[in-house]
Amino acid sequence: MPRQTIETSSRSGGKDVGTLIVASLFIGLGLITLHDVTTYSDTDSVVFPTFVAYAMIFCSVLVIIASWLRPSRDNGFGNGDWWRRLLLVATMLVACAIMPVGGFLPATAIAFAGGLIAARHEGWDARSAVVFSASGIAIMAGFYALFRFALGVPLP
Amino acid sequence: MGFEHLANALTLTNLALALFGVVAGTIIGSIPGLSATMAVAVLVPITFAMPPASALILLGAIYTGAIYGGAYSAILLNTPGTPSAIGTTFDGYPMAKRGDGDLAVAIACYASVFGGMIGALALLLLAPPLSSVALAFGPVEYLWLSIFGLSLIASLSTGNLLKGLAGGAFGLLLSCVGVAEISADIRLTFGSSTMIGGIEVVGALIGLYCIPVLIDLVATPERHLKVEEGGRAVRFREGALLAWRSRFNLLRSSIIGTVIGILPGAGGSVAGLVAYSEAKRTAKPGQKFGEGEPDGIMATEAANNATVGGGFIPTLVLGIPGTPPDAVILGALLVQGVRTGPTLFDSGGSIVYTFIFGLFIATILMLPTGLLIGRYAYKTIVTIPKTILVPSVGFMTIIGTFAIRNSISDVIIMIVLGTVGWVLSRFGFAASPIVLGLILGPIAEQGFVQAWIIGEATGNLTGMFFGRPISLAIIAFTVLSLVYPVIQGRRAKKLLEMQAGSNAKTDD
Amino acid sequence: MLKLKFVKTLVVASAVSLVAATGALAFPEKSIEYIIPFGPGGESDISARFQQPFFKDKFGQDLVVSYKPGGGGAVGWAQLNSMAGDGYTIMGINLPHIVIQPAQKDVGYTTEDIKAFYMFHYTPDAIVVTADSPYQTLEDLIADAKANPGSVTMSGSGKATANHLAQIRFDKMAGIKTTYVPFKGTGASVTAMLGKQVKAQWGYTTVGAAQGDAVRMLAVAMEERHPLFPDVPTFKELGFDMVGGAYRGMAVPKDTPDETVKALSDMFGEINADEAFRKQMLDGGFALLDVGVDGMGDFMKARKDEYIEAATEAGLLN
Repeated sequence: MPRQTIETSSRSGGKDVGTLIVASLFIGLGLITLHDVTTYSDTDSVVFPTFVAYAMIFCSVLVIIASWLRPSRDNGFGNGDWWRRLLLVATMLVACAIMPVGGFLPATAIAFAGGLIAARHEGWDARSAVVFSASGIAIMAGFYALFRFALGVPLP
Repeated sequence: MGFEHLANALTLTNLALALFGVVAGTIIGSIPGLSATMAVAVLVPITFAMPPASALILLGAIYTGAIYGGAYSAILLNTPGTPSAIGTTFDGYPMAKRGDGDLAVAIACYASVFGGMIGALALLLLAPPLSSVALAFGPVEYLWLSIFGLSLIASLSTGNLLKGLAGGAFGLLLSCVGVAEISADIRLTFGSSTMIGGIEVVGALIGLYCIPVLIDLVATPERHLKVEEGGRAVRFREGALLAWRSRFNLLRSSIIGTVIGILPGAGGSVAGLVAYSEAKRTAKPGQKFGEGEPDGIMATEAANNATVGGGFIPTLVLGIPGTPPDAVILGALLVQGVRTGPTLFDSGGSIVYTFIFGLFIATILMLPTGLLIGRYAYKTIVTIPKTILVPSVGFMTIIGTFAIRNSISDVIIMIVLGTVGWVLSRFGFAASPIVLGLILGPIAEQGFVQAWIIGEATGNLTGMFFGRPISLAIIAFTVLSLVYPVIQGRRAKKLLEMQAGSNAKTDD
Repeated sequence: MLKLKFVKTLVVASAVSLVAATGALAFPEKSIEYIIPFGPGGESDISARFQQPFFKDKFGQDLVVSYKPGGGGAVGWAQLNSMAGDGYTIMGINLPHIVIQPAQKDVGYTTEDIKAFYMFHYTPDAIVVTADSPYQTLEDLIADAKANPGSVTMSGSGKATANHLAQIRFDKMAGIKTTYVPFKGTGASVTAMLGKQVKAQWGYTTVGAAQGDAVRMLAVAMEERHPLFPDVPTFKELGFDMVGGAYRGMAVPKDTPDETVKALSDMFGEINADEAFRKQMLDGGFALLDVGVDGMGDFMKARKDEYIEAATEAGLLN
C-alpha cells in the first residue's frame, strides 16, 4: 500500500493556514448571525444569539492572533487516501438524495457499497467480494427488519 | 413498603419482564440513534394489556438497560448511543483504542449497576423529600448549571482553550437553529423550511462523533482497535478491583446523577457531564482524564444510570417527568388509570413500591446480562474486519438518525455536520466543545431569558442572578473547577521541581 | 411515479369497496399510523394514547402512535400533505398552533393546507396557583396586578400559544398588566409555578387534575364548570367572556378521498361517544369536543378569526 507522506497541512509556510481559515469562517458565521438577528420580531430571541455571536467572533480573533504568534505544528489532514474519505461521505449523501424516490434499501445499498470499497485496503478477489456483499446484505436486512417491523419506523 | 411488595415484584412474570426489558434495552441503547425514549415509547401499547405494576417494571427495565447500552458504542465506536453517554467517549474510546476496550466495558457495567442502585435507593427511601429539589431549581439555577457544564470545555481542551471556546460558541449557535423553543421566532434557517425543526441533538452527536471515526478508518489500512493476542477473557476481576478503588468517585457520581436526574430541565447528559467534571477536578496526580482514564468512564456511567431512579422521583411524586423517557412512562400510567402525584405513595402505594423493587431487580440483572452482552459486543467489534465494520456502522448511523424523527433532512445534517466536525478536529477544534454548546445552549438561553423577565418584573435583576443560595453554590463550583486545575498544575510542578532538586537521580 | 400510481389505485380501490356493499366495515384493513408532531409525554401524546386502546377495540386494527417533533409542530404539519393520502396516515393537529404559526412566518404550510377531519377535545385555559398562594380568588390576583402593574409573573408554555393568547386576552379584559414568562412545555411551566418561581400559571384544567391538592385553580375558561372541579368558577361567572383553550384533533393528507375522510371522522366520533373514553378524558381534566368533518369549516373559521384578532392586538403578527 503506498503511504503518502506529503503533509497536506500548512506546515510549509510556517503558518497554520487551516486554523486561520476555520477561525475566519467562524467570524463570518458570527457576522451572519448578527445580521440574522435583525429579522427577529421578539427581543427574547435576539439576546442569546447576539451574545454568542460576539463571543464567537472575539474567541476566533484571539485564535487567529495566537496562531499567528505561535503556529501549531501538528495540525493537518494527516496521511491517508483522499478518494476513500470522499467516497465514503459522497455515497452516504447520495443515498440520502435517492432515498425519497428510490426507497430506503436501494439507496442505503449505495452507501453500503461505497463504505465497503472505501474500507477495503487488501484488494478484491471473487471470494471476498461475494463474502462481503452477502454479509452486507444480511446486516442491512437484519437492521431494516428491526427498525421497520419491530420498532415501527416508517422507512421510505 | 414491606416485604409483600418485594414478593409482588418477584413473581415469575415480573422477573421475566425485567430480564427481557434489560436485555432489549441494552441492545437498543447500544445502537446509535435508538434512545431510551424511543425504546420506551415503542413498548407503551404492549403494556396496556398488563397490570400497571408489571407494565412499569417492563418500561423501567428497558429504560435502565438503554441508558447502560449507550456505553458500548461510546467505548467501541466513539459514538454515544444515547446523549447520556457523551462523557463515556472521552475516556472510553481512548481505552478501547489502546486495547483496553474489554476492561472499559466491564467497568462501565459495574459503574452503571452501582449508579442504578443508588438512584433506586433514593427513590425508595427519600422520594417525597427529594422531590423538592426539582422545585428549588428555577430559571437562574438552570442557567448557572449550564454554565457549569460549559466550563468543562476549559478542562476538555487542554492547551487549546481558545479553540475550545470558539468551538463551544459554534455549538451554542447551532442550538439556536430553527424555531426558538420559548419565543417562537425562526432563527438561522436562511429561508430553508427543512431547517425549521432545528438540529436534532442525537443526530448531531452521531455525526460529530461517529463520522470522523469512519473517515479516519477508511483512510489508512490500520486496525480499528488495538487487539491483544491470545484471546483474554473480559477482565471482570480487574474491572471490579478498579471499581472498588474508585468507590468514592462512584458514590459521588451516583449522588450527582440522582440529584440532576430529579431536575426536570436537565437529564442524563448533563448529569454525566457534571459528574465527569467533578471527577476530573478531584483527580489524583497521575490520572490523565481524556486519555483513557477508567475513572472518567465510571463517573459518567454511574451518574447517568443514577438519573433513572432520580428521574422517577419528580415523575411519581409531583407528576412532572424528570427525563424524556419518564414523560412517556407518565403518559402510559395515565392511560392505565394510575394518577401520579403526592398521594400516589399512599393510595397507590403498592404499585409504586412493587415498581421500585422491580427497578432494583432490573438493575441487578444488568450485571450478568451487561457483562455478557458487553463481552459479545467487544468481541464482535474487535474481530469484525474493517471492510464490513465501516459500511455497517455507516448504515447504522443513517437508519438510526432517520428513526429519531423519521426525517431524511436530519440524516443529511448528520453527515454534513460530521464531515465539518472532522475537518475542524483536524485543526484543533475538537468535537466535544461543540457538542457541549449544542446540548447546554437551550438550557442556558431559556434560563437566561426567563430569569431576566422575572427579574425585571420584580425589579431586582442582580438579586435574581446572584442572590439565590443554590445559584451561588453552583457559581462557586464553576469557579473552583476552572481555577483548581491551575493550582493543581502549579503544585505538581513545584513538587516535581522539589523532587528534581533533592533527588538528582530522577530523570523522568 | 409508479409508486404513486399504485397508491392512487389502492386508494380508489379502497374507496370503491367502501362505498360498495360493506360500508364502513372494509376500512381499515390494516393499522393506521397516527403521527404526533410533538415529543412524547405532552397533552397531545397523552390524549392520543387514550384513543389508542379504544380504536383497537372498536375497529380491530392498531392505531400506531409515532412522533415527529420539531418547530413546535411545524415540521410535521409542513410534511403532512406529502404523505400517502390513503386514510392510513393521520396526524394530530393543534389550535391555535396551525393558525398562528403560518400567520407569523413562512413555516412551510398554511392553515388551509391542513385537512382537519375531527376535533375531539380541548384543554380549557385556567389560572393555576399553588395551594398556599395568597391568591384565594381571581379577584385577589386582579387586585394585586392593579396595585403593582407588571409584578405579577405568570408562567405558561411558549409564546404565541394558547397560554400566551389567554394571558393577553385576559389582561385586556380585566384591565391589568401581568408579566408572561414562557417555558418549554406545560411540564416546565407547572414546575415553575409549584416552585414559586412565578406567582401563578396560565395552564389548563389538566394541570388541576394532575396536581390535585397541591394547586388551586382560580377560574377556568369553559361555558360550564368542569365536572371534575365543581368548586372552580368559570371566567364567565366572574364576568369575563373567556371560553377556550388548546384544541386538539386529527387531520389527513389533502388528497385523501372524501369517503375515507368521512369514515375516519365517524370512527373517531364513535370513540368520542364511548362512555368509558369520556370518563377517562374528563378524569384527566380534558374537555370533550365533537366537531366532525361536516362542522369543521365553521369551527375553524370561528377559531381562526378569534386567534388572529388576539394575536394582532398583542403585536404578535407583523
